[in-house]
Amino acid sequence: MNLRFSLAFAWYYGFRTIKRGPSYVIASLSSPLTLLFLIYIISHGELIRYAVVGGFLGLVASVSFASVADAAFLRIQLRIQDLFVATSISPTDYILGLTLSYLIFSMPGIILYAIIGSLIHIFTLESITALILLLLVLTISTAGLSMTIGGAVNHIRNVWGISAIMSVVLTVLPPTFYPYSDLPKYIIYILAISPTTPAAVLAQGFFGFEPIMYVMIPIMVVETIVFFALARFFTRWREN
Amino acid sequence: MISTKNLSKTYKDGARALDSVTIDIDKRLVSFIGRNGAGKTTLLRILSTQLKPSSGTATVAGYDIMKQPDKIRKKIVSIPQEASTLGVLTPIEHLKLYLIARGFSVLQANEEALKALRELEMYDARNKPSDTLSGGMKRKVFVAMALAANAEITFLDEPTTGLDPVSRFEVWAAIKNLSGNIVLTTHYMEEAQELAEEVVLVDSGKILEKGSVKNLLHRFEGKVRVESLRPDSGDYQIGRTYVKYVKQEDAEDYIRNGYNVRRITLDDLFVLRGVNIEP
Repeated sequence: MNLRFSLAFAWYYGFRTIKRGPSYVIASLSSPLTLLFLIYIISHGELIRYAVVGGFLGLVASVSFASVADAAFLRIQLRIQDLFVATSISPTDYILGLTLSYLIFSMPGIILYAIIGSLIHIFTLESITALILLLLVLTISTAGLSMTIGGAVNHIRNVWGISAIMSVVLTVLPPTFYPYSDLPKYIIYILAISPTTPAAVLAQGFFGFEPIMYVMIPIMVVETIVFFALARFFTRWREN
Repeated sequence: MISTKNLSKTYKDGARALDSVTIDIDKRLVSFIGRNGAGKTTLLRILSTQLKPSSGTATVAGYDIMKQPDKIRKKIVSIPQEASTLGVLTPIEHLKLYLIARGFSVLQANEEALKALRELEMYDARNKPSDTLSGGMKRKVFVAMALAANAEITFLDEPTTGLDPVSRFEVWAAIKNLSGNIVLTTHYMEEAQELAEEVVLVDSGKILEKGSVKNLLHRFEGKVRVESLRPDSGDYQIGRTYVKYVKQEDAEDYIRNGYNVRRITLDDLFVLRGVNIEP
C-alpha cells in the first residue's frame, strides 16, 4: 500500500481544487444550504437542528456521489487512471486518494456548518466525536458506491446524469434533513440501501434528537466494507 | 527487452484488435505505425499491463505480463493516448504526484521533477495551472513525467496526436531526451521516420513488417511515387487516387502527362500492401 500517494493525491486533487476552483465548492454547498433555508422557513425554525446535522452528512454524501462523474471522467476522458495503473500503486491507493480528496473538498462546507451548528448550540463533545466518525465512514462508503457505479459506466455522456440522480435520490430522500421517526420503520430499512440513511439515523440519535437506532451501526459498517470492496473490483484497474 | 508470442485480443463486442502477434523488440526507440484502429494502442496497453490479452504471452524487461505485472510496473512508464492534464494542477504538481506513485519520496520527487522540467525548458511554466498551458506544453508535461521517472522502458501512445507542427517538434525534441528504451505508437509517418531506429508496421491487428526505415524503404531505391486521379492510371489505388512507382529519371515525363510526383515515405509500404492510407 502506498499511503504517501493517497495523501498526495488527496492534497493535490482536493486542496488545489478548492484553492483554484472555488466555484465548485460553492456549487457543492448550494444544495444543502438551500434545503437548510427551506426547512427553516417551512418548519418555522423547529427542524433547523435536523437540517444542520443533515447538512454535514448531505454535503459529504453529495460531494462523494458527484464523484461518479469524476471517477469516470478521470478514467475515460483524461486517461489519468491508466497512467497510474502502470505504476506501483494499487486500486486501493487510488480509491483512497480520491476518497480523501472528496473529504478535503467538503471541508469548507463542513466548517460553515460547524459555525452554524455552534450558533444554535447543538454540539457536545460526544456528538462532535460521533459526527466526525460518521462523516469519515460516510465518505468511504459513498465514495465506494460512486466509484463502483463510475467504473461500470462505459460512456462519459451518461455519467453527469447518473451522478445528479444519485446525489438527489440518495441524499435528499433518506431522512437526512428531517426526523427519521416520521417514516415507517420498514421504509427506513429500504432507504438504508443509501449509506446516507444509517449515517443520518445514527447522527440524529447521537445528537439526542431521536432515540439511537443501534441496528444502523452494523448496517453502516457492512455497507462501507461492501461498497469499498466493490469499488476495488469495478474500478477496472487492469481491464479485461 | 520485449517479446510477444501469438498475442491476441478480442474485445467483448467481438472486435478483434490483435491477431496472433509475435514480435521481438530490442532497439532503443521503436515505433509502431498504422492507421487508427490498427491495434497499436491495444498492443501498447497490453504490454504496459493496463489491459489483459485474450490469448498469447508476452514478456517485458524479462517479466511475464500476466504473472509478474507488478515487477513490470516498476520498470516502465506508460503515457496513455490523449492523456490530459488535471486542469487545476501545475506541471510540477503533476510530476510530483506521478513520481510519488512510482515510489519516490516527496523530497526526491520534487528534486527529480524540477530537474526534468529544467531539461525540457518548462521550468518557467512549472507553477502555472495546466489548463492555462498550450496543447504542446500539456503533452510535454507527460513527457516530463517519463523523463523524471527515468524508467527502463517508456511506452508513449500517440504522443503528438492533435498537436500543431511547432508543438509536435517540441515534443519530438523532448522524446529524444528520454533515457532507456522507448516504444511509441503513431500514425504520422514523418514521426516514425524522425524518431525511430526500428519501425513496425501494423494493420488490422497484425504485424505487417518491421525494420529500420532505411531497410524498409530499400526496395524503393531510385524510385518516386506518381499519382493521378485518372481511372486505371496506376498500379495501386488510394481512395480516388491511382499510384505507381517509377524510376526517378522518368519523373519528368510523368509530370508532363499530368501526374503528381511525390518522394517515397513509409506510407508507401502500406500502399504496396493494399492498405488504404487515405486520411
